Amino acid sequence: MLVTFLDIVIAGLLLGGLYALIAMGLSLQYGVARVLNISHGEFIMLGALTTWAFYTAFDINPLAALAICGPLAFILGFIIHRTLYKRLLNSSGSLALFEGNSMLASFGLMFIVQNLALMFWGPEIRGYSYLAFPVDLAGAVFGANRLVTLGFAILIGLTFYFFLTRTRIGKAIRAAAQDPAAAGIMGVDINNVLAICFGLGAAMAAIAGMLISMSYPVHTGMGLEYTIIAIIVVVLGGLGSIPGSFIGGLLLGLIGSIVTYFEPGLALAAYYVIFILLLLVKPTGLMGKS
Amino acid sequence: MLEIRAVNACYGKIQALWDVCLEVREAEIIALVGSNGAGKTTLLHIISGMLHPVSGSVTFLGRQIDNLPPHSIVELGISHVPEGGRVFPDMTARENLEMGAYPSRAWKHRVKTIEQVYQIFPRLKEREKQLARTLSGGEHQMLAIGRALMSKPKLCLFDEPSYGLAPLLVAEIFRTIQSLRDQGITVLLIEQNVRHTLEIADRAYVLENGRVCMEGDCAELLQSDHVKKAYLGL
Repeated sequence: MLVTFLDIVIAGLLLGGLYALIAMGLSLQYGVARVLNISHGEFIMLGALTTWAFYTAFDINPLAALAICGPLAFILGFIIHRTLYKRLLNSSGSLALFEGNSMLASFGLMFIVQNLALMFWGPEIRGYSYLAFPVDLAGAVFGANRLVTLGFAILIGLTFYFFLTRTRIGKAIRAAAQDPAAAGIMGVDINNVLAICFGLGAAMAAIAGMLISMSYPVHTGMGLEYTIIAIIVVVLGGLGSIPGSFIGGLLLGLIGSIVTYFEPGLALAAYYVIFILLLLVKPTGLMGKS
Repeated sequence: MLEIRAVNACYGKIQALWDVCLEVREAEIIALVGSNGAGKTTLLHIISGMLHPVSGSVTFLGRQIDNLPPHSIVELGISHVPEGGRVFPDMTARENLEMGAYPSRAWKHRVKTIEQVYQIFPRLKEREKQLARTLSGGEHQMLAIGRALMSKPKLCLFDEPSYGLAPLLVAEIFRTIQSLRDQGITVLLIEQNVRHTLEIADRAYVLENGRVCMEGDCAELLQSDHVKKAYLGL
């Protein structure tokens, strides 16, 4: 009984670490840059398939691919914000209109990225084996790659936390999230900060994709499911709260793990139920403000 | 130091300022007086770049600034205490002060500048680790003023810094603003408290319906029948 319990909790944390990472990225894009980025999952897909391609074609270690995928995704996200979303922000007139317009634009971006990837990689389900040996944790057995995934999610979460609380640009991001106009009159170049947030969100998605590819099969259509999970976690944790996204991710992973134990097919359905209940009962989320 | 020439400004289709001209000289305290909706806050937004004028020009130290974004204007030495303070609620008091030193020329000296701000407002030092949302109204306003000083401004814009504060605090805020001038910081001040403001300011502009309807030395304005009747309740 105890081993079963431990099994579920650890499996939940492993899954949750991944969710946390994905959600923190979206939280930056939605909470600060105000883009409800439907194409978030496509950056996860790009990270996953690039890592797979590097590993199978050039034998590049997936963890080393991080050093390539992360910065590339950041640059791509930064440029997308500078060229697309900044224009939308200027032409939308109000923030409410921008949220609608930017979401629609990100929908379009999702189709573009997905179809380009489909042209390039095709629809096949891919996978590779890396660090797949079993590790015994107090009686429960897990793949080493899953544990590395959790370790990375926590490491990146912590690094990101210190970045936001200790560095000049991190503080500017938090200030911009709380009051963009006031941040502007403090001397923060708001367009630049928003583009950085979008780029960081894309980089975190790509890193999450790299970690996913180590443990799960990947394909060009994998993105949307992760986008939906990320949106649920962001709402669960509280809109715009990075710690909320982290905790919300771990929590949703645990819930998923518990539901999977009883009925594997119902995990995603359970997420939707939680999402609906949350919107009805506490729309501000765990750590959100009204 | 600051020259505003024939500025017209609009929010959407509504015109908020009509041909406004205003001049601030170095080491002056200039008061901007007028009823609600007269365009005082709009004028400060024009100066700090939060709103761009439809026509007219704003020059600061010989440089035209009316097309610059807010962050470039802070770099040039103008800082702004916005209406209601607008401190960052989920940052600590100290982090709020650090944000005030965001321009790179001020960031290097932020630790020293924070100590100077703490000398002006010792209360902020006691509260430095508290989130700004937990501060009282007075501390809130002190934080907003301290934060504006962190960028080492040459010109400081105040938008109703004493609004909603108890009389003792109001007096303290006014004393602080006067002491800024002694340190060489020029002040442009909006206040509801017209009498007190005209007593500490050198010159004042009276705005009505988006137009400058009177300007002059404060001593003269205090004697004017119109000001007495409309703003001093005499």
